[in-house]
Amino acid sequence: MSDPFSIGTSALLAFQRAMATASNNVANASTPGYTRQRVEFSARIGQGQGFGFLGAGVQISGVNRLLNTFLISRLDSSASELGRLQVLSGLANRVDRVVSESGTSLSRPISDFFDSAQGVATEPTSAAARQAMLDGGENAAARFRTQANQLNQLDLETGQRIGNTVDEVNSLSAQIARLNRDIVRARGEFNQPPNDLLDARDQAVRQLSAKIGVITFEQDDGALNVQTASGASLVLGNNSQTISVTRDPFRLDRQQLSITSPLGVTSLPTAGLGGELAGLFNFRNQVIDPALAQLGRMAIGLTESFNAQQRAGVDFNGNAGTDFFRPIVPSTLPSINNGGTANFTTGISDVGAMSGRDIVLRWDGTNWQARLASTGASLPMTGTGTAGDPFIVEGVSLEVNGVPAVGDDILVRTGSDAARQMAMAMTDPNRIAAALPVRSSAALGNTGNGILGPLSIVDPSDPNLQAPVTIEFTAPGIYSVNGAGAFPYTPGDTIAINGWQVTLDGTPAVGDQFNFGPMGARSGDNGNARLLANVGNVGLFNGGNQNLTAALSEMTSQFGGIARQAEYTLGAQQAIDNQLQTERDAVSGVNLDEEAANLLKFQQSYQAAAQIISIANAAFDSLLAAVRR
Amino acid sequence: MRISTNLQFTQSLNALLARQAESFKTQLQLSTGQKINTAAQDPVGAGSIVQLDRARAELERFGANSNVLANRLNLAEVALTSTGDRLLRVRELAVQGFNGSQSPESRSAIADELEQQLEALFALANSDDGSGRYLFAGSQGSAVPFTPGPGGVVYAGDQVQRRVDVSPSLSVADVAPGSEIFLRVPTGNGTFAARPDPANAGTLVLGSAGLSGSTPWAPDSYRIVFDGAGGYSVEDGSATVIATGTYTPGEAIEFGGVQLRFNGAPAAGDSFSVQPSPRQDVFATVQGVIDALRLPSATPEQRAAQQNAFFASLEDLGAAQEQIIDARSKIGAGLNTLDRTTEERASQVLSLSTTLSGIRDVNYAEAASRLSQQLLMLEAAQATFAKVQGNSLFNYIR
Repeated sequence: MSDPFSIGTSALLAFQRAMATASNNVANASTPGYTRQRVEFSARIGQGQGFGFLGAGVQISGVNRLLNTFLISRLDSSASELGRLQVLSGLANRVDRVVSESGTSLSRPISDFFDSAQGVATEPTSAAARQAMLDGGENAAARFRTQANQLNQLDLETGQRIGNTVDEVNSLSAQIARLNRDIVRARGEFNQPPNDLLDARDQAVRQLSAKIGVITFEQDDGALNVQTASGASLVLGNNSQTISVTRDPFRLDRQQLSITSPLGVTSLPTAGLGGELAGLFNFRNQVIDPALAQLGRMAIGLTESFNAQQRAGVDFNGNAGTDFFRPIVPSTLPSINNGGTANFTTGISDVGAMSGRDIVLRWDGTNWQARLASTGASLPMTGTGTAGDPFIVEGVSLEVNGVPAVGDDILVRTGSDAARQMAMAMTDPNRIAAALPVRSSAALGNTGNGILGPLSIVDPSDPNLQAPVTIEFTAPGIYSVNGAGAFPYTPGDTIAINGWQVTLDGTPAVGDQFNFGPMGARSGDNGNARLLANVGNVGLFNGGNQNLTAALSEMTSQFGGIARQAEYTLGAQQAIDNQLQTERDAVSGVNLDEEAANLLKFQQSYQAAAQIISIANAAFDSLLAAVRR
Repeated sequence: MRISTNLQFTQSLNALLARQAESFKTQLQLSTGQKINTAAQDPVGAGSIVQLDRARAELERFGANSNVLANRLNLAEVALTSTGDRLLRVRELAVQGFNGSQSPESRSAIADELEQQLEALFALANSDDGSGRYLFAGSQGSAVPFTPGPGGVVYAGDQVQRRVDVSPSLSVADVAPGSEIFLRVPTGNGTFAARPDPANAGTLVLGSAGLSGSTPWAPDSYRIVFDGAGGYSVEDGSATVIATGTYTPGEAIEFGGVQLRFNGAPAAGDSFSVQPSPRQDVFATVQGVIDALRLPSATPEQRAAQQNAFFASLEDLGAAQEQIIDARSKIGAGLNTLDRTTEERASQVLSLSTTLSGIRDVNYAEAASRLSQQLLMLEAAQATFAKVQGNSLFNYIR
């Protein structure tokens, strides 16, 4: 029917709907994920007449979303990376603050501790100085523990966030599966795109990607299949698959992921994930674990070297020095899947060879194989694992107990569990070994001008270290030791006996004696205290090339650098995301001015269409008037 | 290009918030005075700060060490100065006492005063550092180092001499142990000592003892024996006669690198020993003066014995005075080193602080002008935000 009435009516209807669509755009201008919609007009097919085709008005061929489909997947992957970096940057910043902020950092208490040791070196018999050194040690140990606690707390929080994020992933997957079902049904029913459902699904996919990082494939029926970057399927048509959190085989406080599909439960490697989950796992592997390892290595280094120096001296009571800090023992965690009963007794063998990283030892049936827990790279190991010849790997000694089954794994936390254990071993200030164990003296009756230089301890473990020794000159340039032997002497010679050495200068006369013996109690000697105060300046780490302060400095830089790097990358990714968002909104976003103009346009068109009805009516009236006459 | 209203709003708002965050950060820097609060702001700088902070703290600690040590060294110097003064007084009294005009009674009075001086010397040698730790006891600072005993002084200290670190590469010796200051003084002239046999019966008196200068001193225990008939013989340590001669009073007798002059008449068998300077403590030396003063001096033989004792005492006293002066000068050298390192440390601390400040501290001029620029930008963003957001076509649809 191509008459003005029907043409006008079609136009009225069409413009009314166009106005409704524009209004809907205005209404959803701020709705996240909303895609601008447009009414598609098309001319009705006209009626052929003898003179030609007469137009039959307008019809609506569809209401379409305006979008650039290529941008969707790019936005999804950007959301994934953004989610990962936001989590990583936020958490890395917190570690940075723990490590470097002056109120929580290690540097001040350690510095104060060594200063207090210097205090004892200056006034070895001062009870106040000794007490200050004990307090300094306790403060340093406490700061190690505090840092370890804060890092462990962050680790725990990370674990909880992994659980929560997995819950959200599952709920989003389920939501997408439901939307898939609705979309397929709606399309089948109306053969038109269900715009708002599609928007909702795009939005859900975007959120899911921010959590776990996804790639999508659309099926012919309109359903969207979603899988992780590594190919694990999350949504297949109407079905979603559940991810669950399982415990790490070694550690109760660590999680692994697995996915439940119709084929059964399979483990989900965290390496192929994106989004916040990747950020959380990255944080564990790249920040928390290395931080605990470094911290632990420093705790072990300080404990071992300070204790060793303590043992090289004698305390105020005249007894051999004992441990200042409680010795740290690397912990071992057998896998829950182990069939055997094997475990290790651990000890520290060489701080210089330590990295503090976690390692896993596997029994392959004939040998124990060591590898890094983080990367799986195999590690060289020496020894046979017996008490007399323990395995030495990463500076740690391991003695095998029990019987392993083939394929058994044991996690050895060489350093990551160490800082937590840092504690004082002594409370009595008199037990600080400030003095050297050996005292030297020249007999008062010596007539020569032989002068003893400072004595130093070469081997504190020598069993005869404190045995009395008399060096007597029996002839010019010849001396005997404890009455035996005839050793040649030239001025400036270093004489080494029983684990100590001393330089003798000048020309002793025949009969001159030099005596050596135990230091004894209540000594004001500071020979060992000076060495204690210097422990922080002696190369301990990286094969003895790095001292404690340098290690601390490196740790500060390293984790500051990680936090800064994450922040920079996050900034860059944010810029990329903003750009993509701008590109998307250039096509799909609602511009209110544009909608206002459209509304005006459709309003005018509607008014014009109404005029068509009015004119047609007037024409009909004039016809009626003509006929009535 | 199309811009969506929502995006325009969000992005302008984000830009506004970013400006705000920047100016907040600058404001925080200005109020804390530091531009690095956590390592993330400057990882390399933060790493350096850890090392520089430690280096500075260590230098400051070395400064404290230096003060403690300087206190002890100063106290020791005061004690040794007094000791030197006392020994000088002892020497004066000795010279006075051996004056031939003194009667036995006045000698005894002088000896009494010398005993007072000896007590004072003990008190000085037992000086403490003000906190009850004895200065001259080596590492045994809690025990009184010098106590008089029946067989001479008893030294309760040891021979340990502490060294105290006063800079990363330098340590300075603490006060030397008392044994090296008050004991172990070489007697005689420091090289050898010529002493009469206590059994000498003649009036032989040692006039002078020195090195001959022509032949070097050959250390050995010599004995010069007079036969009472004008001859003498010299035996070495193994009782071998190495020289004989005729004794003429006042004439030099030389052997083994020494030159001795004697006066008076020896009895047969009278002898002098010549040996490498034995060691003796300061207190025994003073006691020696006292004992010599109390010797009887009725006969010429007794007077000769007293004169020989006097000669020996004065020699020993000289050596003791020299040893005290030596010890004082060593302490003075230590104090000098401390002063020098104090200056060095001050300049090192200054340079470390300057470096630290460059890394960590805010440049106020720069930060203040940055803040005012950021605030200007923030104001501009706020003003334009309101204008742009208030501008809509809907305003014109009436």
